[in-house]
Amino acid sequence: MTMDSLFMGLIIGLVVVIFVMLYRVFEGPSVYDRLNGLGVIGTDTILLLVLIGYIDKRPDMFVDIAISYAILGFISLVVIAKYIGGKGDIKK
Amino acid sequence: MKILASLFLISGFFFILVAAIGVIRLPDFYTRLHASGKSETLGMILCFTGLAIYEGFNLTSAKHLIIVIFILLANPIGTHIICREAYRSNLKPWTRKEE
Repeated sequence: MTMDSLFMGLIIGLVVVIFVMLYRVFEGPSVYDRLNGLGVIGTDTILLLVLIGYIDKRPDMFVDIAISYAILGFISLVVIAKYIGGKGDIKK
Repeated sequence: MKILASLFLISGFFFILVAAIGVIRLPDFYTRLHASGKSETLGMILCFTGLAIYEGFNLTSAKHLIIVIFILLANPIGTHIICREAYRSNLKPWTRKEE
């Protein structure tokens, strides 16, 4: 088993995990569940980007994209959580 | 070296899968946050360590280790912030007596 088939299997598994996580984003009981699902999707996408880079034989370029995606995802998660929360009662 | 890297990658993907199952299946918001806060972080750390081992010793593996340190800092901070904002807006934790 070569490493490329392992990377392709991991990519397929990560896409399945992301599509499963969309259930929590659409059907979450509270708005924080949706935010949690989006955070998990954003964290999985970092690994997905680096693995796509290894399939494409250019991991040095995709790693930079993954770093910037990680920073943007973390900042957007913090900003959306601070924007939604702390306003009294729970919103559905 | 490839065997060690693939071992790290497969174990990391196992933890990511456990995190996804936990986020779907657990009964409460705080327990789901617990699943995504710890298991996801460990899975990503194992996967990127495996990719850094596979890459060898160059600039790309240094960037993989930068991603490891960033995820180790950022993922628990994000989970903590979501949990604090949910607790501030009176989201009650799940107990067995309410059923």
